[in-house]
This record gives sequence, C-alpha cells and structure tokens, in this order.
Amino acid sequence: MEAIKGAIALVGYGLAAIGPGIGIGIVVGNAITAMARQPEAAGMVRTTMFLGIAFTEALALIGFVLFFIA
Amino acid sequence: MGPLILASAECDPAADIICKPDNVIELFRYDDALFSIGPFHFTRTVFLMFLAMAIVLVLLYFGLRRKALVPGKLGVLVESTVGYVRDEVAVGIIGPEGTRYAPYLLSIFLFILVGNLFEVTPFISFPITSRMAIPGFLSIVTWVIFVVVGFAENGFGYIGGIVWPKAVPIFLRPLVGLIEFVSTFLLRPITLAVRLFANMVAGHLMLALLLVSGWVFMSSVGDIGIRSVIGVPWFVFGLGIFVFEIVVAVLQAYIFTLLAAVYVQSSVHPEH
Repeated sequence: MEAIKGAIALVGYGLAAIGPGIGIGIVVGNAITAMARQPEAAGMVRTTMFLGIAFTEALALIGFVLFFIA
Repeated sequence: MGPLILASAECDPAADIICKPDNVIELFRYDDALFSIGPFHFTRTVFLMFLAMAIVLVLLYFGLRRKALVPGKLGVLVESTVGYVRDEVAVGIIGPEGTRYAPYLLSIFLFILVGNLFEVTPFISFPITSRMAIPGFLSIVTWVIFVVVGFAENGFGYIGGIVWPKAVPIFLRPLVGLIEFVSTFLLRPITLAVRLFANMVAGHLMLALLLVSGWVFMSSVGDIGIRSVIGVPWFVFGLGIFVFEIVVAVLQAYIFTLLAAVYVQSSVHPEH
C-alpha cells in the first residue's frame, strides 16, 4: 500500500478547526438571539460571548500551533 | 523575480513527510542576538518590548498628568481606557474587591495592546506577542497570581474545592475533580498563552503572504506582462485583512485581560 505523503499536519489542523467552527457559530448565534430578546442585557451578553468564543477557539489554535511544531 | 518568489526553501514531498520552513523554531527561541550583556541577549523582540513599555508609560504619564475637569483628547482616551478596565473588567467580573487587581489588568492590557498593534504599525510590522516567550511569560504571571490569590483567600480549601467539588454527586466527584484540576492548573495557562500567540502568528503570516505576494506579482510586470494583475486582488484582500487585524489585535488584548480577570474571580469566589 502506498504510504501517505505530504503535509499531514495540515490535515490535522483542518480537522481541529471543524469543532471550534461549529462551536463559535453556536455561541455567536445564541448570543445574537439573547441580545435581540433582551437588548438591555446586550453588554453582559457580549462579554460572555467573547469569553465563550475565547474558550471555544482554543482548540483550533492549538491545532494551528501543532501544525507548526509537529 | 526568482529569489522573491522562492521566499521559502524548496520542499520535496518525496523526501520528507512534513514540509515546513526550517526557521519555525524562531517562534519559540531566537538565538541571533544583536548584542549580549552577560546572560541577557538583546534581539529585535527585546527592543520592541522595551519600546512597547516606553509607549505605555508615556501614554499613561501624559494622559493622566493633569487632573483637569475637562481633559484633553489624550486624557479622554487614557481615562476611558483606564476606567473601562477598572470598572467593566476588574470590578464587573471580580466584584467590589476587583480594584486591587485593576493595576495588573491594566498593565497587561496596555502592554499586549501595544505589542499587538506593532503588527499593523508601518516600519515595524512585527507583533512581539507572536514570539511564544512573551505570552508564555504573561500567562505564567497570571497563573501565579490566581493560584496565590486562591490560597490566600480560601486556604487549602481552594485546592480542596477543585479536586473534591461539593456541588457534584459523590460518585462523580473523583472524575470531575480530576478534570477540574487538569483544566485549572495545566490547561488554563497553556490556552491563555497559545490563544494570543497563535492569533498573532496567524495574522502576521496572513498579512505577510497576501501583501508580499501581491507586491511580488505587481512588481514583476516586466517579466510576466499583463498576468501581473493577479497581484491586485491579493493586495486588496491583504488590505482588507489589515483592517481585520487591527480588530483582532484589540480583541485579543481584551480577551487576555478578560480571561485573567475571570481566572482571578474563580479563585476569589471558587463556588461560582
């Protein structure tokens, strides 16, 4: 069987970006829903949204760093 | 045109599984010092660090020099930044005792902000936070602060509350405690550093690739003729990314500060 050749770490980074992509979509979507329903709570929701994005994004960024150092 | 197009070393996929430029290690350590005093090596990153520190100090000094009833333009900028970090981040997240941590949060916010904005500063174009040492050190300092604060506020109940959470059913406590322990003491500092570092490296790479490839194509009009218009969309896209990177620079400084405040808050009030 032919061995796989090429930048395999790139495939790993692509896989690592799937989950955070979906996750950030869910976070921001729900934050927009919350802001639309409760405009007076928009400031608090926005802060929490950035926190959620930051936590979710970490996996993709770890994948990005591993692509360089792998 | 040849040496410009071949910006990185040629990659032979048959010989090597993973193709990457051989200077990736520069992201993590940089040996090529300009000059050294004893064990301290002065590189470009170190100079830019001192420059960032000087900019922050000058801004704060001239912004807050006169306590005027109606501050000037710089005064408004600095005062609103300081007020935002103190009122919204420190007090808003940590609670009324958050003013104790406001100086630290303001320091890291301004330092990271200036360091990130070096990425889009003409003639510098290099974010110092894209070298792992700087976000790594800032996150280690943050880690030390929130662990020390946790022990100072709660005694050994701090670590007890993490490895043996009372709010969880008893048969789940070992599992949840293990996950919480690893996530609090190992994953928090790593992700805090890696988030800032990777965002800045990615932005720097994207800017360099788009703008340099656009410039290379457009400047090689003598060699490849009309086909050099390929460079125009690259250059325009690069300028769009340039604006986006300003947003990212501010946002990442804000997120780092926000997460530092959240971690300190979880040490001050561990039950929430």
